[in-house]
Amino acid sequence: MSTLTERTTPVEAAPEVKALHRQMQRRQRRSRLTTYLVGILIALWILVPIFFIASMALTTQATVRAYPKGVLPFIPFSLDTMRFFLNSYGILPGIRNSIIVALLTLALSTIIAAPAGYALSRYIFPGRDFFRLSILAVRAFPIVILAIPLAVVFISIGMFDTIYSLALMHTALTLPTAVLVIGSVFASIPYELEEAAQVFGCTPVQAFRHVVLPLVLPGIAAAAIFTFVMSWNEVFAASVLTIQNRTLPAQVLATLSYSSEPYQFAGGFFMMVPSLIFIFIIRRYLFNMWGQVSK
Amino acid sequence: MSEIKIENVTKRFGNFVAVDDVSLTVKDREFMVLLGPSGCGKTTLLRAVAGLGMADEGRICIGDQDITYLPPRERNISMVFQSYAIFPHMTVFDNIAFGLKMNKVGEKETKERVHQAAELLHIEQLLDRYPDKMSGGQRQRVAVARAIAMESRVLLMDEPLSNLDALLRLEMRAELKRLLRELKATTIYVTHDQIEALSMGDRIAVMKEGAIHQVDEPSAVYDRPANQFVGSFIGNPPMNFLTGEVNRENGEVAVTVGDFMLRPEPKMQSALREYVDDKIVLGIRAENMEALTTPADDAVKVRVIVVEPLGSQNLLTVNIGDDIVKVATHPTFPVMPDGDIWLRFPADKIRWIDRESQRVLYV
Amino acid sequence: MNNRRRWTPYLLLLPTVLFLALFFLYPMVQALKLSVWSENTILALKDEADRESGSAGRLPRGTTVTILDREGNLIPPDESDTTAFLTERWFYVRGDSVEGETIEGWTSDSRIRVREEAADGTPLMGTVRRVLGSGADPLTRLYTEADDDSPLAGQMEANTEVSIVDLAILEVWYQVQGTVDDETVTGWAPSRFIQAFEGGDQGRVDRGNAGEFTMDHIRRMVQNRFFWPALRTTVLLMVIIIPIQFVLAIIMALVIQARLRGNNWLLYIFAIPLGVSDLAVGIVWFAIFTQNGFLNSILDGIGLIAGPRPYLTASTRGWIIFAIVLAEVWRATSIVMIIVVSGLQAISQEVLEAAELFGATLWQRVRHVILPLLKPSLQVALILRTILALQVFAVVVALSGGDIVTVLANETYRQYVELRNPNLAAAYAGLILVMSMVSAMIYLRLVRTQEEAGL
Repeated sequence: MSTLTERTTPVEAAPEVKALHRQMQRRQRRSRLTTYLVGILIALWILVPIFFIASMALTTQATVRAYPKGVLPFIPFSLDTMRFFLNSYGILPGIRNSIIVALLTLALSTIIAAPAGYALSRYIFPGRDFFRLSILAVRAFPIVILAIPLAVVFISIGMFDTIYSLALMHTALTLPTAVLVIGSVFASIPYELEEAAQVFGCTPVQAFRHVVLPLVLPGIAAAAIFTFVMSWNEVFAASVLTIQNRTLPAQVLATLSYSSEPYQFAGGFFMMVPSLIFIFIIRRYLFNMWGQVSK
Repeated sequence: MSEIKIENVTKRFGNFVAVDDVSLTVKDREFMVLLGPSGCGKTTLLRAVAGLGMADEGRICIGDQDITYLPPRERNISMVFQSYAIFPHMTVFDNIAFGLKMNKVGEKETKERVHQAAELLHIEQLLDRYPDKMSGGQRQRVAVARAIAMESRVLLMDEPLSNLDALLRLEMRAELKRLLRELKATTIYVTHDQIEALSMGDRIAVMKEGAIHQVDEPSAVYDRPANQFVGSFIGNPPMNFLTGEVNRENGEVAVTVGDFMLRPEPKMQSALREYVDDKIVLGIRAENMEALTTPADDAVKVRVIVVEPLGSQNLLTVNIGDDIVKVATHPTFPVMPDGDIWLRFPADKIRWIDRESQRVLYV
Repeated sequence: MNNRRRWTPYLLLLPTVLFLALFFLYPMVQALKLSVWSENTILALKDEADRESGSAGRLPRGTTVTILDREGNLIPPDESDTTAFLTERWFYVRGDSVEGETIEGWTSDSRIRVREEAADGTPLMGTVRRVLGSGADPLTRLYTEADDDSPLAGQMEANTEVSIVDLAILEVWYQVQGTVDDETVTGWAPSRFIQAFEGGDQGRVDRGNAGEFTMDHIRRMVQNRFFWPALRTTVLLMVIIIPIQFVLAIIMALVIQARLRGNNWLLYIFAIPLGVSDLAVGIVWFAIFTQNGFLNSILDGIGLIAGPRPYLTASTRGWIIFAIVLAEVWRATSIVMIIVVSGLQAISQEVLEAAELFGATLWQRVRHVILPLLKPSLQVALILRTILALQVFAVVVALSGGDIVTVLANETYRQYVELRNPNLAAAYAGLILVMSMVSAMIYLRLVRTQEEAGL
């Protein structure tokens, strides 16, 4: 005879089983708490140094030089140190150069990498795996070191000490990453969407523009931002390839040994800020960027 | 003796109650199918038995042992996962041997049992291969072999056939049934496919929204559903439901559907008497109606909307009053869309359903 | 259509390939070449004062030579800048010969006084100069070619009026004799490579016209007093930092994988160092470890020390290493974490459950399932980290000034930027390249043999 589950008086588990359950729950809670604690400790380990430098950069120069440093940050709060740094010799041009180089790098590497990324994600062709592996290998390589021979070459063709040559170098640095990230972004858009658009009357180019492009734009923007950050941060090639037209990190590095602490701390903080913002913007794409290296 | 006894088990995820005070007993060596639509809590219940998601309340016993809160490895169970969960870095042999190694079974016996399991599933030739190049059907066999090599008292299966294509599924269904009959392990088999459930299970537990609605043998679940949900969920096409009105005629209860009058079985009379002057739902399966090309006294004239030839039968869609009804006929039954036919309702095939509780009335 | 599709991917890849060939492959080859090649150290002498003639021997830069003879020689048309070396001009002139006939021929511009020039300075008319000196031939010779070894065209008397038809600029070649390795070599070379001394019959090889393979740069690199400290420190940092980073990164990854509430924030915070410049990181840790920095302030504040202690000085190298380790761990653990997290995420939850269900304890699950499945990720992270560790630079400079503690990349930088020695810098760069390649290959080999051994 068919039955429907009736609400009966609930069966209680035996006391020892219940105790076991309670113990398990306790252990689970404790392990969750431990995980939290570890996570927060690591977060502090990362945040506290940033907090130190921020509090140094946003106070008076006298406070920066003082010892011992105050426990309370930002007291007195002042833009004095920042202003001093920004008005130092070579800083404003350096910032301008850094931005130009980073923007050029962003534009160049995105324009060059986008078709390659598309090809990697959309076509099966002989040599595809070889290309992928080569790109992976190139990315792992100490590209920055190549600034030395490049400098020699640039001198011989009269392109030394220009921000354009530096942008070319930085593009070489960011290109492999950009190709892989953009490739993975394209790969996340099913090809069926493009086909569907073509079935509904688009040319392949229109299908790309109206269907694929809007979908991949955020991912490509993230890749572009990352190339900007890489270029903004890069100091070795910038120092080797430029003398008069230094970027910000190159300028700070060149004057580091004889500059004052307010200058150094403000410089360190200033260089850090764009990265903090940009990494926040592209945090969703971090795994696209690095996760796939192992595949 | 490895009877599985699930008693008043409740499992919540936050505020969502996935399994709501469920009790179920799976007899020793029984093949129990947990059947229900996705999200009904059947997998959650299975995982509670497996120890992969502990029950919040209630008790689960295997044999005489309370296993409610034991870690999975201490439960003496084995399982086939929906995605097979084959270890990609191990050969087929190592996959099948994994559980035995973890349980410190001797090398010789491990080898024997692996080969035995592989033989049962016809995958001896795959033992040295890695799973990444294997087809879905082959992986499935490995997953089953790994589970049966454990020779555990309880075998759990979580939609093991759902990732196979239709033809392969048909083949594996028969093979699994044969295999499980040989093994005689107590089995809980989760599926959302009612055909699988009907064809394989010793008994079926139909679940919906965290509760079990009926536990019975396949034929009973099919023929005598406990409520409207079970009737509508099991069978293809599902049971037809019509709304009728209960009247009293000459001291007997009769039910009108549209302008047609039905006479219930005599044994239902007393049960239906309570519904006089009220509405009631009739349930009847498509193949239980008799379709006629000519008028008859006890047949209602209906208009055919759609004719679907399915090879072994023709499925007609007809209008009765406001309700749409599916009727199965012999493939040679002559009918065209927009034609009229006459339907006869055998009284013993009609199930009477309370509109409020949706329960089927039985006496 | 079919054909076009077949080529499309290659066309799309072309810009990337070209760019990397130009700015990755070419400089890489250049770096290796620069480090074992000296440019312009050898002067190749010719049999005759002619580019096409056979080789007469080689003289290294700096050899003292005797100048035996000189001769003008046509300049190759691709060299337009004639200001850089010694030249002479020859005129093709027409005028009356000693015999009274009108003759044409070449003569050196030293024999002709230019009397009339066109507006652009091209000489048009001139007179033959008087030859001074008692024993000298008073006549001026014209040659059929702009070369005083060519056949005579005729002779002219002094003060003959001539029209200047054409002119040629010739480079002076010297016939020199020098001794190298006790062997006397005689031959011709363009004057631009020879610095002639006062008097004109002695000189030295100023620069060469050919390069040669040399171990000089590498030898000088190895002998440099900063080389071994730099190599030692680089390797030391690698050995200390990488294990710490892996342990920390795995812990971070497990915290992220626990999917606690606020997970997204934790992930962002953990990922911050990924985007921070190494120079900025160096400065941050400098702010902590400098004498009036945060470490001393805090230790002083809680009474552990009395008065600030120095950490980043020549006498506290250990502290500098310690600070560099902290800074690098702070900076570069995130990337390992990201790789490990995505490796963990690629492991199917059901596979882990299956392992648990079939009897594996937590340790057995880690040992038999998680680690083997994570191995490719860990391996990639290890290669990446090793290669990045070889490049550690700005952090070291910021914390040590680049002197007290130095690393290979810093030496590369110093050789190029401060000491203006591209070859030595390239030698360092080449060393880093080779070490990167070798370590990558060792890892891959290790992993392969492990797999063969059935681990």
